[in-house]
Amino acid sequence: MPSGGKKKHKKSSRKKSELDSALDQIGDESAAAATKEFQDLLGEAKGDTSELVRQNAEEVERRLVLLKNRKIDKEDFDHFIENQKRDLRVYVDGQPAQAQERAEKLTIQVLEIAAKVAIALI
Amino acid sequence: MNSTLVSRNVFLCAAAILIASCGTATFTKTGSDAAIESLRNFHLAFIDEFAVPGKKFNATAFNAKVNEGNAKFQQAIADEKFTARRPVLVDLKAQFDADAAHLKSKASHGKVTPALASEMKKDVNKIYDHALGR
Repeated sequence: MPSGGKKKHKKSSRKKSELDSALDQIGDESAAAATKEFQDLLGEAKGDTSELVRQNAEEVERRLVLLKNRKIDKEDFDHFIENQKRDLRVYVDGQPAQAQERAEKLTIQVLEIAAKVAIALI
Repeated sequence: MNSTLVSRNVFLCAAAILIASCGTATFTKTGSDAAIESLRNFHLAFIDEFAVPGKKFNATAFNAKVNEGNAKFQQAIADEKFTARRPVLVDLKAQFDADAAHLKSKASHGKVTPALASEMKKDVNKIYDHALGR
Protein backbone atom coordinates (compact mmCIF):
# COMPACT_ATOMS: atom_id res chain seq x y z
CA MET A 1 0.00 0.00 0.00
CA PRO A 2 1.32 3.50 -0.73
CA SER A 3 2.67 5.36 2.25
CA GLY A 4 -0.13 7.93 2.39
CA GLY A 5 2.32 10.82 2.17
CA LYS A 6 4.06 10.09 5.47
CA LYS A 7 7.40 9.26 3.94
CA LYS A 8 9.21 12.17 2.29
CA HIS A 9 11.52 11.43 -0.59
CA LYS A 10 15.01 12.86 -0.50
CA LYS A 11 15.01 14.37 -3.98
CA SER A 12 16.87 17.55 -3.01
CA SER A 13 19.75 15.73 -1.35
CA ARG A 14 20.23 12.88 -3.84
CA LYS A 15 22.74 12.98 -6.66
CA LYS A 16 21.32 14.02 -10.01
CA SER A 17 20.42 10.99 -12.09
CA GLU A 18 21.07 10.63 -15.81
CA LEU A 19 17.37 11.27 -16.34
CA ASP A 20 17.37 14.44 -14.17
CA SER A 21 20.22 15.85 -16.24
CA ALA A 22 18.38 15.06 -19.48
CA LEU A 23 15.14 16.57 -18.18
CA ASP A 24 16.95 19.74 -17.08
CA GLN A 25 18.05 20.25 -20.66
CA ILE A 26 14.49 20.41 -22.00
CA GLY A 27 14.25 23.94 -23.36
CA ASP A 28 10.58 23.86 -24.37
CA GLU A 29 8.74 26.07 -21.84
CA SER A 30 5.38 24.42 -22.54
CA ALA A 31 6.88 21.08 -21.46
CA ALA A 32 8.56 22.56 -18.37
CA ALA A 33 5.45 22.31 -16.17
CA ALA A 34 4.86 18.66 -17.10
CA THR A 35 8.55 17.91 -16.55
CA LYS A 36 8.53 19.51 -13.10
CA GLU A 37 5.33 17.66 -12.16
CA PHE A 38 6.85 14.44 -13.45
CA GLN A 39 10.09 14.85 -11.48
CA ASP A 40 8.15 15.57 -8.28
CA LEU A 41 5.82 12.59 -8.74
CA LEU A 42 8.67 10.28 -9.75
CA GLY A 43 10.66 11.28 -6.66
CA GLU A 44 7.62 10.67 -4.46
CA ALA A 45 6.99 7.26 -6.08
CA LYS A 46 10.64 6.21 -5.70
CA GLY A 47 10.41 6.91 -1.97
CA ASP A 48 7.11 5.11 -1.45
CA THR A 49 6.76 2.18 0.93
CA SER A 50 5.19 -0.06 -1.73
CA GLU A 51 7.79 -2.09 -3.63
CA LEU A 52 5.58 -2.21 -6.72
CA VAL A 53 5.25 1.61 -6.78
CA ARG A 54 9.02 2.01 -6.39
CA GLN A 55 9.75 -0.61 -9.07
CA ASN A 56 7.37 1.08 -11.50
CA ALA A 57 9.07 4.44 -10.94
CA GLU A 58 12.52 2.95 -11.46
CA GLU A 59 11.35 1.11 -14.56
CA VAL A 60 9.86 4.19 -16.19
CA GLU A 61 13.02 6.17 -15.39
CA ARG A 62 15.21 3.45 -16.93
CA ARG A 63 13.09 3.36 -20.06
CA LEU A 64 13.16 7.15 -20.45
CA VAL A 65 16.96 6.89 -20.37
CA LEU A 66 16.83 4.11 -23.02
CA LEU A 67 14.64 6.39 -25.14
CA LYS A 68 16.94 9.38 -24.65
CA ASN A 69 19.92 7.22 -25.65
CA ARG A 70 17.98 5.91 -28.70
CA LYS A 71 18.16 2.28 -27.57
CA ILE A 72 14.39 2.16 -28.04
CA ASP A 73 12.11 4.51 -30.01
CA LYS A 74 8.93 6.35 -29.00
CA GLU A 75 6.76 3.54 -30.39
CA ASP A 76 8.57 1.03 -28.14
CA PHE A 77 8.35 3.40 -25.18
CA ASP A 78 4.57 3.83 -25.64
CA HIS A 79 4.18 0.04 -25.87
CA PHE A 80 6.03 -0.42 -22.57
CA ILE A 81 3.97 2.32 -20.91
CA GLU A 82 0.78 0.54 -21.97
CA ASN A 83 2.17 -2.77 -20.63
CA GLN A 84 2.97 -1.17 -17.27
CA LYS A 85 -0.47 0.45 -17.11
CA ARG A 86 -2.17 -2.90 -17.83
CA ASP A 87 -0.11 -4.58 -15.13
CA LEU A 88 -0.59 -1.81 -12.53
CA ARG A 89 -4.34 -1.43 -13.05
CA VAL A 90 -4.76 -4.72 -11.20
CA TYR A 91 -2.64 -3.39 -8.31
CA VAL A 92 -4.58 -0.09 -8.06
CA ASP A 93 -7.96 -1.84 -8.18
CA GLY A 94 -6.81 -4.15 -5.40
CA GLN A 95 -6.02 -1.29 -2.99
CA PRO A 96 -8.47 -0.25 -0.26
CA ALA A 97 -10.85 2.47 -1.54
CA GLN A 98 -9.20 5.24 0.53
CA ALA A 99 -5.74 4.36 -0.85
CA GLN A 100 -6.73 4.00 -4.50
CA GLU A 101 -6.44 7.69 -5.42
CA ARG A 102 -2.87 7.93 -4.13
CA ALA A 103 -1.91 4.55 -5.63
CA GLU A 104 -3.23 5.70 -9.00
CA LYS A 105 -1.35 9.02 -8.72
CA LEU A 106 1.97 7.29 -8.02
CA THR A 107 1.59 4.63 -10.70
CA ILE A 108 -0.81 5.25 -13.60
CA GLN A 109 -0.44 9.05 -13.46
CA VAL A 110 3.37 8.79 -13.40
CA LEU A 111 3.17 6.70 -16.57
CA GLU A 112 0.76 9.10 -18.29
CA ILE A 113 2.95 12.14 -17.58
CA ALA A 114 6.05 10.14 -18.60
CA ALA A 115 4.51 9.66 -22.06
CA LYS A 116 4.18 13.46 -22.39
CA VAL A 117 7.70 14.10 -21.06
CA ALA A 118 9.07 11.52 -23.52
CA ILE A 119 7.96 13.67 -26.45
CA ALA A 120 10.03 16.61 -25.15
CA LEU A 121 12.97 14.35 -24.39
CA ILE A 122 13.52 13.09 -27.96
CA MET B 1 -23.86 -45.49 22.05
CA ASN B 2 -25.15 -45.97 18.48
CA SER B 3 -25.77 -42.25 18.00
CA THR B 4 -22.23 -41.50 19.21
CA LEU B 5 -20.86 -43.97 16.68
CA VAL B 6 -22.95 -42.45 13.87
CA SER B 7 -21.83 -38.93 14.84
CA ARG B 8 -18.22 -40.02 14.87
CA ASN B 9 -18.55 -41.64 11.44
CA VAL B 10 -20.25 -38.56 10.01
CA PHE B 11 -17.46 -36.40 11.42
CA LEU B 12 -14.78 -38.69 9.98
CA CYS B 13 -16.49 -38.71 6.56
CA ALA B 14 -16.74 -34.90 6.55
CA ALA B 15 -13.08 -34.60 7.52
CA ALA B 16 -12.08 -37.07 4.80
CA ILE B 17 -14.08 -35.15 2.16
CA LEU B 18 -12.51 -31.88 3.31
CA ILE B 19 -8.97 -33.27 3.15
CA ALA B 20 -9.63 -34.87 -0.25
CA SER B 21 -11.07 -31.64 -1.69
CA CYS B 22 -8.05 -29.68 -0.42
CA GLY B 23 -5.80 -32.17 -2.14
CA THR B 24 -7.76 -31.83 -5.39
CA ALA B 25 -7.61 -28.01 -5.16
CA THR B 26 -3.85 -28.09 -4.65
CA PHE B 27 -3.47 -30.51 -7.54
CA THR B 28 -5.67 -28.35 -9.81
CA LYS B 29 -3.80 -25.18 -8.74
CA THR B 30 -0.55 -26.87 -9.65
CA GLY B 31 -2.00 -27.72 -13.05
CA SER B 32 -3.20 -24.16 -13.52
CA ASP B 33 0.25 -22.80 -12.58
CA ALA B 34 1.84 -25.21 -15.04
CA ALA B 35 -0.49 -23.98 -17.79
CA ILE B 36 0.55 -20.37 -17.09
CA GLU B 37 4.24 -21.36 -17.12
CA SER B 38 3.70 -23.10 -20.46
CA LEU B 39 2.10 -19.92 -21.87
CA ARG B 40 5.03 -17.88 -20.51
CA ASN B 41 7.53 -20.16 -22.29
CA PHE B 42 5.61 -19.89 -25.55
CA HIS B 43 5.36 -16.08 -25.22
CA LEU B 44 9.12 -15.70 -24.53
CA ALA B 45 10.04 -18.04 -27.41
CA PHE B 46 7.77 -16.00 -29.71
CA ILE B 47 9.71 -12.83 -28.82
CA ASP B 48 13.04 -14.63 -29.25
CA GLU B 49 12.00 -15.81 -32.70
CA PHE B 50 10.73 -12.52 -34.09
CA ALA B 51 12.44 -9.69 -32.14
CA VAL B 52 15.77 -10.20 -33.85
CA PRO B 53 17.56 -7.11 -35.20
CA GLY B 54 18.24 -7.36 -38.94
CA LYS B 55 16.22 -10.56 -39.41
CA LYS B 56 13.98 -10.55 -42.50
CA PHE B 57 10.33 -10.54 -41.48
CA ASN B 58 8.52 -13.73 -42.52
CA ALA B 59 4.81 -12.85 -42.45
CA THR B 60 3.66 -16.44 -43.03
CA ALA B 61 5.72 -17.83 -40.14
CA PHE B 62 4.70 -14.89 -37.95
CA ASN B 63 0.97 -15.31 -38.60
CA ALA B 64 1.21 -19.08 -38.06
CA LYS B 65 2.87 -18.53 -34.67
CA VAL B 66 0.29 -15.90 -33.67
CA ASN B 67 -2.51 -18.32 -34.60
CA GLU B 68 -0.82 -21.05 -32.58
CA GLY B 69 -0.57 -18.63 -29.62
CA ASN B 70 -4.21 -17.60 -29.90
CA ALA B 71 -5.27 -21.26 -29.85
CA LYS B 72 -3.08 -21.97 -26.81
CA PHE B 73 -4.46 -19.01 -24.83
CA GLN B 74 -8.06 -19.82 -25.75
CA GLN B 75 -7.56 -23.45 -24.76
CA ALA B 76 -6.00 -22.40 -21.43
CA ILE B 77 -8.93 -20.05 -20.72
CA ALA B 78 -11.46 -22.79 -21.55
CA ASP B 79 -9.60 -25.39 -19.45
CA GLU B 80 -9.10 -23.16 -16.39
CA LYS B 81 -10.88 -24.72 -13.41
CA PHE B 82 -10.55 -21.67 -11.15
CA THR B 83 -13.09 -19.22 -12.53
CA ALA B 84 -11.38 -16.41 -10.59
CA ARG B 85 -8.24 -17.04 -12.61
CA ARG B 86 -9.86 -16.72 -16.02
CA PRO B 87 -9.64 -12.87 -16.07
CA VAL B 88 -5.90 -13.23 -15.35
CA LEU B 89 -5.54 -15.49 -18.40
CA VAL B 90 -7.54 -12.97 -20.43
CA ASP B 91 -5.05 -10.28 -19.28
CA LEU B 92 -2.16 -12.50 -20.37
CA LYS B 93 -3.79 -12.99 -23.76
CA ALA B 94 -4.19 -9.20 -24.06
CA GLN B 95 -0.45 -8.89 -23.38
CA PHE B 96 0.29 -11.47 -26.09
CA ASP B 97 -2.00 -9.65 -28.57
CA ALA B 98 -0.33 -6.30 -27.82
CA ASP B 99 3.17 -7.79 -28.13
CA ALA B 100 2.28 -9.50 -31.41
CA ALA B 101 0.90 -6.26 -32.86
CA HIS B 102 3.96 -4.29 -31.71
CA LEU B 103 6.42 -6.89 -33.01
CA LYS B 104 4.65 -7.08 -36.37
CA SER B 105 4.88 -3.31 -36.75
CA LYS B 106 8.56 -3.20 -35.73
CA ALA B 107 9.83 -6.33 -37.49
CA SER B 108 8.02 -5.68 -40.77
CA HIS B 109 9.68 -2.24 -40.93
CA GLY B 110 13.10 -3.55 -39.88
CA LYS B 111 13.01 -1.43 -36.72
CA VAL B 112 13.86 -4.07 -34.11
CA THR B 113 16.66 -3.00 -31.75
CA PRO B 114 18.62 -5.30 -29.39
CA ALA B 115 17.03 -3.53 -26.42
CA LEU B 116 13.50 -4.25 -27.70
CA ALA B 117 13.61 -8.02 -27.16
CA SER B 118 15.15 -7.77 -23.68
CA GLU B 119 12.67 -5.09 -22.57
CA MET B 120 9.70 -7.03 -23.96
CA LYS B 121 10.84 -10.17 -22.15
CA LYS B 122 11.19 -8.25 -18.88
CA ASP B 123 7.56 -7.14 -19.16
CA VAL B 124 6.42 -10.65 -20.07
CA ASN B 125 8.17 -12.18 -17.07
CA LYS B 126 6.76 -9.49 -14.78
CA ILE B 127 3.11 -9.93 -15.83
CA TYR B 128 3.35 -13.75 -15.63
CA ASP B 129 4.96 -13.51 -12.18
CA HIS B 130 2.09 -11.27 -11.06
CA ALA B 131 -0.40 -13.71 -12.61
CA LEU B 132 1.14 -16.45 -10.47
CA GLY B 133 0.96 -14.23 -7.38
CA ARG B 134 4.72 -13.80 -7.07
